[in-house]
Amino acid sequence: MSNERVISTANLNFIENSLSQLRGEVQFVSGQIESVGHEVQSVSQKVLDTQAKIDALTQDFHEFVKRDQMAKDLQLAETRVVKIRQEIETKFGHYGEVRRRVTGILQAVDVRLVKKETIENSTEEHMLAAPRYWLAPCLIALAAWLNDNKELADRAMMEALRRDDEKTSLFFALVTRRGSRYKASREWLDRYFALQDPHELEREIIILIDGFTNGIFGPEARAKCGRHIEAWIEELSQKVGFVEEQHKQWRDALEGKLRRLSGEAYPYLRKYSSTWTQLQQSLEGAKLHAIIHDYFQDIFSKEVVPAKGIAVAVDALLDTLVSKFDDEELPLRREERLQSLIIEENGDRNAAQSRFGVEKTLEEKVSFTQLLTNFAMHPETSHASLVTQKFSIALSKDWIRQAHDDMTVDNRAKVPQQIELQIDGWKGTTEQGANEQELVESLTQHIYRRRDEDLAWVKLSLKHWSALIGGLLLAVFGFGAPVLFLFAAAGIFYFFYSKSRLAKLRLKMIDDYEKLLQSCKDILRAVLSDVVDWRQEYAAEDGKAASVTEFLESVASEQYTFSSFDTARSVIQS
Amino acid sequence: MRRPIITTGSKTDVRLSTEPVTRTGVELTGLALEKRLKVKRSAAYVEAMTKLDAMGAVCDHTKVQELIRSIQGEFAELKPHQFLIGLVSKCYLGAPYEVHTLDMRQEIVEHYKAGQPLPSGMEKARALAMHPSYAFIEVYSDAICAVAATGYVAFTRGAGYVQ
Repeated sequence: MSNERVISTANLNFIENSLSQLRGEVQFVSGQIESVGHEVQSVSQKVLDTQAKIDALTQDFHEFVKRDQMAKDLQLAETRVVKIRQEIETKFGHYGEVRRRVTGILQAVDVRLVKKETIENSTEEHMLAAPRYWLAPCLIALAAWLNDNKELADRAMMEALRRDDEKTSLFFALVTRRGSRYKASREWLDRYFALQDPHELEREIIILIDGFTNGIFGPEARAKCGRHIEAWIEELSQKVGFVEEQHKQWRDALEGKLRRLSGEAYPYLRKYSSTWTQLQQSLEGAKLHAIIHDYFQDIFSKEVVPAKGIAVAVDALLDTLVSKFDDEELPLRREERLQSLIIEENGDRNAAQSRFGVEKTLEEKVSFTQLLTNFAMHPETSHASLVTQKFSIALSKDWIRQAHDDMTVDNRAKVPQQIELQIDGWKGTTEQGANEQELVESLTQHIYRRRDEDLAWVKLSLKHWSALIGGLLLAVFGFGAPVLFLFAAAGIFYFFYSKSRLAKLRLKMIDDYEKLLQSCKDILRAVLSDVVDWRQEYAAEDGKAASVTEFLESVASEQYTFSSFDTARSVIQS
Repeated sequence: MRRPIITTGSKTDVRLSTEPVTRTGVELTGLALEKRLKVKRSAAYVEAMTKLDAMGAVCDHTKVQELIRSIQGEFAELKPHQFLIGLVSKCYLGAPYEVHTLDMRQEIVEHYKAGQPLPSGMEKARALAMHPSYAFIEVYSDAICAVAATGYVAFTRGAGYVQ
């Protein structure tokens, strides 16, 4: 019994001391760990901040590189355009002389101011100066015709036909029409039509179509043109996949009119919704209806100013025929167009390349329907007149309507029904922006949950309680050694000071979270207001799709062929 | 040289096949099928399909079969497996009904409430069916045709399909 007591007393003292020492050490380590924890937290925050800065910097850098590249491409394109134009001038400049002679001779003969010998000599000189060029023998034939030299005219004509059959036929069809030789003009036209394949037409067919729509040919030739055009369309429509290709071509052309949404539209939705990209695309697609409608309406509301007379009208066509469609110049003209597009797009090579790809106005051979698309959408580069543009749209209206309908239904099918919202870690969804109450409640719950989680960390820890207990114990022992009162007071003061500091911190945190909640609620309301506005704007823009269909329905191709130069009535319906 | 009367060099092999051949027309595929599906629908067909509501909430089976026959008549060139899966349109029976469907496989007309999912892959046509521009939506296995009251067809592979 006595043995047990001795062992017990001795061991307990030792163990108590050791435990007390151990507790002190554990407290110290715990304090260290806590401070390391704080350090880690602050470092992690700094890492996040740095990462955000690096991301922003990377974005700025990429933006800078892109802008720099665009600036360089723009500069390069500007230099190249000048160089290409110089090259065209150097290589084909002497053709210009020949070209100017064509209308020069015709107009000189009209007013009888130049001697026939002068015309003859001048044309022969050009024949020597421009080998391989189809227009030079045409000029000789023209001069010989004016001088009544049939033999020379025939020989020159044969040479011209050998060099370029199609352009020569078209050239003489126009020249003979200018001279009111209807029979000859009709025969040249017949010859020209016989050479055509609607799948692969030469670019200069625009001259014929322009002549047709502008009423240059006589009534009979016009009827013939009309029948040929109808037959071409009929032939092309029979081919499987051809109409679908037209729909695609038109769809590409219509989508080419798409305008990007302003970067300032719907700022809250843009920032706080992951669905924004789809919303943006849908709205841009819906806005396209008004753009397309205005584009077509603008074309059809423009007044056609007829040329002063048949001679002026034919001369204009002859000028275009001889100067715009020479295949030798085509590669350089194509390059020139691409560089001009790069300049128009402010150096954005990809955008220019895609526009160039859609245009297809500088292809060597194109199908008749592609030509119609080119006339309708790119009249400048395809050299189409306003009447031809109207006629082409009227003739293609069914394809345009189908392409527009398909594009519209695609856009409507892609409109997001549910819009995702993300505000400061909280996620929610809305359809029309009408569930504000429900979303505010969900947001409030989310913020309060985060607040409570954070508040749970702000409490008195072991070191504070140890300081209090230590202080109380020292106060008890202080009666033996009064100096211990000082330490006791320090421990107790530390405890109460920390308690009050933590209480203040909690109050501040609660206050901060209230402010955060208020700010998040304001953002949520702003986002929902954006959603409502977006849905309204989308519905309004989408509703304009019907106006495009109605407009196209009201257009009829026969209304858009001009016939002011006719002195006779058209007996045969075109 | 004289022309030989009996030729022995070449031989013409004529084989007559006795296997029965059924000619029911060429199956439309790819762009040809797409072209066919884009053809304007007949006024009678559009009218028949827009009258699904008139049958009331519970539809008589013989009437459904009549509708299916009119669909088959409209697409006489298509093979049975190319027919539409079903047809979705806005329901005018009023709340809580939102859309109704004509399921070609199950041969039933059903009305669906808001939030109730549509079967047989027809859900993707729901939003379009609710759009006022379209009378009804035809759902095919790989495409959607939105048909306007005028009979004009807008064709899409749809947002739910791989483009």
